[in-house]
Amino acid sequence: MKRLYILLATATIALTAMAQTTLLNDMSFYWRIGYAVGGNAPLPMPATIRSLNKYVLQPNMSIGVDAHRRIGNHWGILAGIRFENKGMHIDADVKNYHMEIKKEGDALAGYFRGKVDTRITQWMFTVPLQATFRVNKVNFKLGPYVSILTAKKFSGYAYDGYLRVDDYTGAKIELGNDKDSRGEFDFSDDMRDMQCGIDLGADWQFSNHFGLYADLQWGISGTFKKDFKTIEQTLRPIYGIVGISYRIN
Amino acid sequence: MKFRCILLKGTLLGVMLMSLVSCFKEEPLNAEADIEQAQLIVDNPDALFYNATDATIDVLSDQTTITFDVRASADLTALAPTFRLTEGATVNPASGSVHDFSQGPVTYVVTSQDGRTQRTYTIAFRRVSHTVTEVLEFNFEHYELNSTGHYYIWHNTLPDGSLGNDWASGNPGFKQSKGKSAKPEDYPTTPDPNGFDGACLKLTTRETGALGKSANMPIAAGNMFLGQFDMSKALVEKAMKATRFGLPFVQKPVKFTGYYKYKPGPEFMDKNWNVDPTRVDAGDIYSVLYRNHDKDGNAVVLFGDNVLSSDLIVAVARIPKTETTSEWTPFELEYQYKEELDMELLANRGYSLTIVFSSSIKGATFEGAIGSELMVDKVRVYTEKEE
Repeated sequence: MKRLYILLATATIALTAMAQTTLLNDMSFYWRIGYAVGGNAPLPMPATIRSLNKYVLQPNMSIGVDAHRRIGNHWGILAGIRFENKGMHIDADVKNYHMEIKKEGDALAGYFRGKVDTRITQWMFTVPLQATFRVNKVNFKLGPYVSILTAKKFSGYAYDGYLRVDDYTGAKIELGNDKDSRGEFDFSDDMRDMQCGIDLGADWQFSNHFGLYADLQWGISGTFKKDFKTIEQTLRPIYGIVGISYRIN
Repeated sequence: MKFRCILLKGTLLGVMLMSLVSCFKEEPLNAEADIEQAQLIVDNPDALFYNATDATIDVLSDQTTITFDVRASADLTALAPTFRLTEGATVNPASGSVHDFSQGPVTYVVTSQDGRTQRTYTIAFRRVSHTVTEVLEFNFEHYELNSTGHYYIWHNTLPDGSLGNDWASGNPGFKQSKGKSAKPEDYPTTPDPNGFDGACLKLTTRETGALGKSANMPIAAGNMFLGQFDMSKALVEKAMKATRFGLPFVQKPVKFTGYYKYKPGPEFMDKNWNVDPTRVDAGDIYSVLYRNHDKDGNAVVLFGDNVLSSDLIVAVARIPKTETTSEWTPFELEYQYKEELDMELLANRGYSLTIVFSSSIKGATFEGAIGSELMVDKVRVYTEKEE
């Protein structure tokens, strides 16, 4: 985090300095702080996920700086850097759901019926590059983003159900709901270090400096590396971010 | 404008949340194809199973061979096992269809509700032998005077609590030789109130008197045995044939136990009625299991002259030597088998068991010491029985 502050401070100073030069007369710089809600979700939702029992909000802070350059009356281009967390904690009912759990040191893969509690943490630097189109005080934004993950975790446990080992004819492993009887999993090492997607958003500059913004970051790449087959569906990080922006110049 | 923005943001968030929450599909069909439980319901389960619970098998998830344990005698030609399957699954041939299992196992294929998983199960019936341990108890508490009031007879307690007549003694023979002048207590085989537990058996070697001597049977050892005493043979040359040892027995005897006291008489007499000072009398305690039919299928009973030597004997439990003791002394004798028991023959009453107590080990040949005394109580025969 300390590094982050230094980085952001440096960026702010640099951008402020740049903004003051006449060459960059058409450029604006923004601070942003926001909060993300969303999930790493399979789309469309597979039939194997039956219902969502619990969705717990996570400390999904997003902080960053943007540079925006107007091109003509309406159009513009925006680039920036964010440091953010896309975290998720859900509890879902599943059926015929392919899983791999660790039980007394053994990895047991197979089809699970029961409940799955999943927690995801993804701290990352995200760089968006968006075209903007201004209507009055609102800038609509659309463009790709790239994220580099600095910390990642995908873990949880399957419980209150049973796993058929290997396939549906395999041994039935009953899972309970305490630390000893449930099946833990941790796929953190199988997560991608880089994500990319499309960011669709809008900035509303309601005062000289302050504005509100909303972004929907729709992952194109999945959560996991290509060779990871345990979870059969591709989980795309899809997060919506709302926050406050501050125009520096 | 403000409104439009709120609308926009609302739409964005809405899309996002909808994508997460509101698009659950229809529940997938079950993909498992298990027989969870197999059951055989028949009109008379006792004819098929040892225990009623054997008719129901909870099948383990990784088990595809389901075996019912049935009686050795079970008829397996037309049985209709039923199954509890994973919800929605189907089985072929159908649950409850009739099959002949006497020719071996029958294969069933279960298909999951979604049709994609199939599991093949084998249903088998295994004939098993089943043994239960049963203890036969002989406490010698039930005795009475015979119909003429001369001597005592004993009754054993049958499993249903009624009294049986399985014990026999040489008392009727003694009556023929001397008995008219003897009191019941002077007979070779008598009860005694001072047993290990309640009354006991008291066997005393007696003098038979003039008539017995003239028949070359000068003494009568006190004896008691499972079998019959054939009085018609008691006083003739074939006296050995008087003791008909053994009764048909359908359990496998394993161990023979009890308590005894023994006191030899002072003077050992040989067969010629001479005192032999070098010999001391001893009692005898043994049990014999034998085939009660010979090779030609003729019914056989063992007598005094072959009860320990016949080729038909399959097992003997015999005390090595009766100690001279005034204390109740336990004995515990294993049946020594000479051959494997034929369980079917056993079940069909093809074996007979006898238990023999004698106050003089050579009593059958009329050797021993007058006054030798063997007391016996609390006799047990531990058996195994195939159900």
